[in-house]
Amino acid sequence: MADNKTVIIKIKRQANPDSKAYWEEFELPQTPGRNVTSALMEIAVNPVTRDGKKTTPITYDANCLEEVCGSCAMLVNGKARMACSALLEKLDHPVKLEPFSKFPVVRDLAVDRSVLFEDLKRVKAWVPIDGTYDLGPGPRVTMQEQEVAYPLSRCISCCCCMEACPQFNESTDFVGAAAISQVRLFNTHPTGKALKRERLAALMGDGGIQECGYAQNCVEICPKDIPLTRSISEVGREVMKQAIGDLFRR
Amino acid sequence: MGSSAGSAAPAVVKPKIKQGVAPLRAGEGHSFLLRRLHSLTGIVPVGLFLIEHFISNAFAVNGPAAYTKQVEFLTSFPFVVALELFGIWLPILFHSLYGFYIWYRGDSNIGEYPWTGNWMYAAQRWTGAIAFFYMGWHTWHIRFTGVHILSHPASAFGKVQLEFQNTWVAMFYLVGIIAASWHFAYGLWLFAAKWGIVTGDRARRRFGYVCVIIAVVFIAVGMATMRSFFHWPLHPVNGGSS
Repeated sequence: MADNKTVIIKIKRQANPDSKAYWEEFELPQTPGRNVTSALMEIAVNPVTRDGKKTTPITYDANCLEEVCGSCAMLVNGKARMACSALLEKLDHPVKLEPFSKFPVVRDLAVDRSVLFEDLKRVKAWVPIDGTYDLGPGPRVTMQEQEVAYPLSRCISCCCCMEACPQFNESTDFVGAAAISQVRLFNTHPTGKALKRERLAALMGDGGIQECGYAQNCVEICPKDIPLTRSISEVGREVMKQAIGDLFRR
Repeated sequence: MGSSAGSAAPAVVKPKIKQGVAPLRAGEGHSFLLRRLHSLTGIVPVGLFLIEHFISNAFAVNGPAAYTKQVEFLTSFPFVVALELFGIWLPILFHSLYGFYIWYRGDSNIGEYPWTGNWMYAAQRWTGAIAFFYMGWHTWHIRFTGVHILSHPASAFGKVQLEFQNTWVAMFYLVGIIAASWHFAYGLWLFAAKWGIVTGDRARRRFGYVCVIIAVVFIAVGMATMRSFFHWPLHPVNGGSS
């Protein structure tokens, strides 16, 4: 504080889903180790813009603050990333914050990402164990299978892969890398693979895996380093096997 | 009874959001078939034809006589026009037009995410478009106008030589060769990645190098072929009544 250094943060705001977006600028004292989320908290304490105008606190999503809940994704300097792991001192200044561009804005930086939840339901991204009696212990998962499954299971549904994908838009309605990778996860699970056929069939519908253009932004942007392109290739193979097999068998 | 308080409570303003990208439509539509067909036609028959076309034209390196022999061989095929129509023109037309449709539906974002794969995504669209317009122009000039090569195979060498008299035309050929070679080589890589033939990260990188070599070989062969049309003395074009 002694050197009076400050950070300028430009935030794209929007009062409600239907209103027009506008920009506001804030100036905060530079604090070592501060992330974007804590800067937004700081603004909420005293919501005054850089030119002294009193305003409302910024609406944003955040929860765990350690890059595991997936809620705080936004565009930081134009790129999709988690606000909690974006440290102000490591960003280009002034820092520009925008809501995701491909998801409907709820307010300010908060967007509605429920499309991923809908997609996960449509590909049945779960292990089917519901029943009226005890099914007993499941089959053993080998060490090798665990090593493949674990990285896939780290998906936090942040939707960064979808935001950065050139094919994810309202024209293709592409499902995106996250859901495809979850199909791979549950299809390799010894109990989960009971629904393999249905999952693969779902991915052949409009907006399915075929819309992937393999620009590979998903794997570059993923904050959890999930091998998303590998998942798309592996699931692509299973989908083709099923599609071609059905030509002869069904 | 408290009911007044209950009913007077302001309705919670919860905007129902009905915009944005729609969820997956499982079991609906034909886009899977069309996209995969687009992918496949790029390899068979369009890619196969490209290989044949580069090899056949490379006979020019051995001079007009060898070139004429190769043209005679190709034009001697039975049902040659049907082979052209169903083996070359219609598949290229489908691949190109559906390709433009794919391009139109994507939103390239190399400005925000300037990564290699993203650049290749954009380049695949541009090289495809360049190759398409080049092929249209090339086919019109060599196949459909001027001396009829199917009935005058001996005039083919000279016909190409005449084309190259104009430097701009020769340049356009060079650009067309590079665009088609690039588009085919990266298309091969995309095919292997999307159809799950090459899935692992390291395997995909390795196959990427193979595809770079394929592109370089195609461009080199194309340039050597072009050079031989300049190298050999002008061959007579006899498209008269013979």
